[in-house]
Amino acid sequence: MDPDGLRDEALAAVAAAETLPALDEARVAYLGRKSPLKLALREVRDRESGMALNAVREAIEAAVAGKQEQLEGAELEARLATERVDVTLPPELLGSVRPRRRGTLHPSTQVRRDVEDIFLGLGYEVVDGREVETTRYNFDALGFPDWHPSRSPRASLYLDDETVLRTETSPAQIHKMESTRPPIYMVSIGRVYRRDTIDATHFPIFHQFEGLAIDKGITMADLKGTLLYVMQQLYGPERQVRFRTHYFPFTEPSMEPDVSCFACGGAGCSICKHSGWIEMGGSGMVDPYLYEFVGWGPEEYTGFAFGMGIERTAQLRHGIPGVRPFWDNDLRLLRQFR
Amino acid sequence: MKVPMSWLRDYVRTDATTEQIAAALSVSTAEVNGIDRRGVPGDLSLFRVGHVLEAEKHPNADRLQLTKVDVGEAVLQIVCGAWNFGAGAKVAVALPGATLPNGLTLERRKLRGEVSEGMILAEDEVDLGTDHNGIMLLDDALAPGMPLGDVLPLVEEVLDVEATGNRPDLLSVYGLAREVAALFDGELVPLDDAEPGRAGDETVNVQIDDYAGCPRYVGRLFRGVGIGESPVWLKARLRAAGVRAISNVVDVTNYVMLALGNPLHVFDFDTLHGGRVVVRRAGPGEQLRTLDGTLRALDPRDLLIADADRAIALAGIMGGEETEVTESTTNVLLEAANFEPIGILGSSERLALRTEGSNRWEKGVDPHLAGPAATLATRMLVELSGARWVGAADVQGELPERAVIELRPERVTAVLGLDVPDQEAILERIGFERVGDGYRVPTWRARDVTREIDLVEEVARFRMGEIPFTLPRRDATFGRLTRWQRLRRVAEDALVGCGFSEAYTPTFVADGDYRLPEPLSSEAAALRTALVPSLVEAARQNVAWGNSEIALFEIARVYPHGDGGLPDERWHVAGVVEGGIADVAWTVEQLYSSLAVTPAVEEGDEQLLHPGKGARTAEGWFGELHPSLLDGAWGAFELDLDALAAAAPEALTYTDVSPFPEVHQDLAFVVGDDVPAAALVAAMLDAGAPELRDARVFDEYRGAQVGEGKRSLAVRVAFGSPERTLTDAEASAARSRIVESLASRFGAVLRT
Ligand SMILES: [Zn+2]
Repeated sequence: MDPDGLRDEALAAVAAAETLPALDEARVAYLGRKSPLKLALREVRDRESGMALNAVREAIEAAVAGKQEQLEGAELEARLATERVDVTLPPELLGSVRPRRRGTLHPSTQVRRDVEDIFLGLGYEVVDGREVETTRYNFDALGFPDWHPSRSPRASLYLDDETVLRTETSPAQIHKMESTRPPIYMVSIGRVYRRDTIDATHFPIFHQFEGLAIDKGITMADLKGTLLYVMQQLYGPERQVRFRTHYFPFTEPSMEPDVSCFACGGAGCSICKHSGWIEMGGSGMVDPYLYEFVGWGPEEYTGFAFGMGIERTAQLRHGIPGVRPFWDNDLRLLRQFR
Repeated sequence: MKVPMSWLRDYVRTDATTEQIAAALSVSTAEVNGIDRRGVPGDLSLFRVGHVLEAEKHPNADRLQLTKVDVGEAVLQIVCGAWNFGAGAKVAVALPGATLPNGLTLERRKLRGEVSEGMILAEDEVDLGTDHNGIMLLDDALAPGMPLGDVLPLVEEVLDVEATGNRPDLLSVYGLAREVAALFDGELVPLDDAEPGRAGDETVNVQIDDYAGCPRYVGRLFRGVGIGESPVWLKARLRAAGVRAISNVVDVTNYVMLALGNPLHVFDFDTLHGGRVVVRRAGPGEQLRTLDGTLRALDPRDLLIADADRAIALAGIMGGEETEVTESTTNVLLEAANFEPIGILGSSERLALRTEGSNRWEKGVDPHLAGPAATLATRMLVELSGARWVGAADVQGELPERAVIELRPERVTAVLGLDVPDQEAILERIGFERVGDGYRVPTWRARDVTREIDLVEEVARFRMGEIPFTLPRRDATFGRLTRWQRLRRVAEDALVGCGFSEAYTPTFVADGDYRLPEPLSSEAAALRTALVPSLVEAARQNVAWGNSEIALFEIARVYPHGDGGLPDERWHVAGVVEGGIADVAWTVEQLYSSLAVTPAVEEGDEQLLHPGKGARTAEGWFGELHPSLLDGAWGAFELDLDALAAAAPEALTYTDVSPFPEVHQDLAFVVGDDVPAAALVAAMLDAGAPELRDARVFDEYRGAQVGEGKRSLAVRVAFGSPERTLTDAEASAARSRIVESLASRFGAVLRT
């Protein structure tokens, strides 16, 4: 027998089957127990013809499986076509609309609104710039030195050499500075990205809120006072704030604000890692480099900037462990945040 | 960096406690993540120097020794398993009652019939090393009974300091000591610059081909090096600092790196071809097998240390295997160099090879440090390995001049909001020198302090707590949400009211208009162009968790192709709901209504939807989810929120409520199945104007009475006029216009 001829004949028959019963008929004829192929396989004595016939069998089986999927899909589509309804009818005529329990806003959105309201009260505007940025706005304009680890593709998510998913919302601040002269009082809120492996405490996406105030005569004391107010609004009126020196590319001097632990009142507990203080993010005085970048004099204005995490704020306020719960979208969790 | 306090206190004299030092460093210098208390946990007085008076084989055990040890006020009998000592040795003894670092408290007890009153200690038993081959042998000059804590660091407190990337000077014990001295007005012990005597004057052949990559190379040659173990104190310090002890020569290089911040390297001098080193870039196709055994293909940008023929080290990152110092090494070439940071960073990233050395070089090490580092290493090598120092070379390019930066005192006040009259004293304590109106920057801060604002920061970090809390004085305040931001809140609240809970799903999907060249995973490889697929996935997980009444929405960006290289980022609002077409149609109607927009609904053919139950509006689509995506009936919608907000009216204008009653009628038309209800209603409103005020379908009927392929749509209509009550004739004229229009446009027949 001629394996190639048999194969071609069988494939043609499978291709010609227009319905599932017709396909089954072809399957029985070419792969069934009494098909010439199966009979021939039983007679095989040498390795070479055995391999040839098995290759034919596999080819026919694959064709049958592919055709079956195609016919079943077509059958489903045909059935769905008969279920057509007039979607332009008023909803109540399309079926019964079940009453539902009221839904919930995501805890991150609840924090976002609180942050917006706090800063609106301070006379800030709320801005959200674009998420896909040029390296010019995401790094160069913000004074990131060449060695800064954030510039590495192992730390940040690049689309190409000059395009990166923003690593902080600060590029929005540069865009704002380019479009208007001070006074600028703004808070930018939105998604930012890091190349992180997903685990309990890491996710490649999180949300930041970053404030920027530029005006004549702004001082570090104003930064301290503003953050004290914001922290007391977010975490309670008894909160204290302290500052630790740090390094950030776009601020000089740079500081990290800590808020006094609201779980233990400063005595030390697991939330504050037994220090009495909880780290809140970054802050500092706007580096004069930024003023020069947008074409202003380095000493016409002074200003401050700070950035914090939305998820972290929600974690601290509600005792949510880790960051995974923020992306699981488990209704058992979401429905707790009424 | 892990900083043993005993080491730090070698360099700074202060009464401040470890806790005070940690707290002050955290505020003004670098964060201290914790204080690790290592070593003996309890009473130190139970640890003594002992003098072995007698040592014999235990009468009942071949592998034990029976000893008599003088511990000062008494002579104790101690059974010991080690044999590396005999009578006359000075040893470390723990008395009964002493608690070891592993928590074990010693007792007087019998071992194979003989009383043992304590323990002769091996280094691992007091956490000073890993060796358990024998007990520690102490200096013969020590007096029996001396507190052991005076001889060995039995207790150590270790600070875990996290320096920021701009402060490579803090990656050293001495650099931190300098800060501690400034913070507590303590004395910084000057570095000992005494060189040991030279035992020869051999030429050390060093050549720098690339001064940009290597501004300085100090090479020193040692002969007669005795490779061996380091003394306990050195091993203990390295161990506390988190570095493994290897051999005296290698341990010296690590010790000096930790002490001063300048990484060093040592070569087995006899393996160097031509007995020389050349600092150059890699040639084409050049390779090097590094100390970790990996054969590495080099890039022409990689800076190398070579000998006369070949690469022998990746400069600043890792040495080569063939020139490694081994047990049989007798002649050693010490390298104390300076490497330019960006090149080291590039090579380290390209080769995915990070070491303690590269971590320091890539941040920029003070080129003036190579000298003191070579001096300290030379002293230690001579002392610890019996080596003879026989030759030296110091090849340098042009080292940068120390900059002088002006600082206006009033500028400090303007930035800080605080007067700092003693700013000069603050700066001088950390190495800045007053010159005219400015300050000369110390070499170890040259990369980081280049502008006046950097000096302001130096002052600020020592006055962090004193800066007051104020708010900006403003001429005017304008705090308000934009219209779009207000509408987003309205949309969020409307959907919550419809029973939807808000989801946050990832930006990344398997495929989209913009792909990540290095995807996070195959499922997170591109930026999404729609939200519904992510919400379907979230719904599927909720089904798996056994949750019911699933209804999820999200407001987030999508990233379709845009002009000029960047995506056209647009905000979408989307939802998935357990139920079906009616539930989602109602939700979409509510959402539109919340924004005062009337949707123009048409049939649609969105791929994600059931082919017979999909609708389109100007802003997006909704319908029943295609049954292949989720089991059971589900609704889904996805709308462009930016377009929806644009369609929302800026302002609503009042229309007078007519005092004249409207006439309500129910009209039923038989039409072909293919005529959408919305098209029929639109045509009615068109034809019935101005008397027809409202029309809404309230019933649909199919059956024998209306015939195959047709249906009856019942519409409630309202006729009226703002000026007067309509007469029957006027209403029926409008009705006739409607009937005629529908008949001619759709072949509709009014049922009577
Ligand atoms: Zn606490």
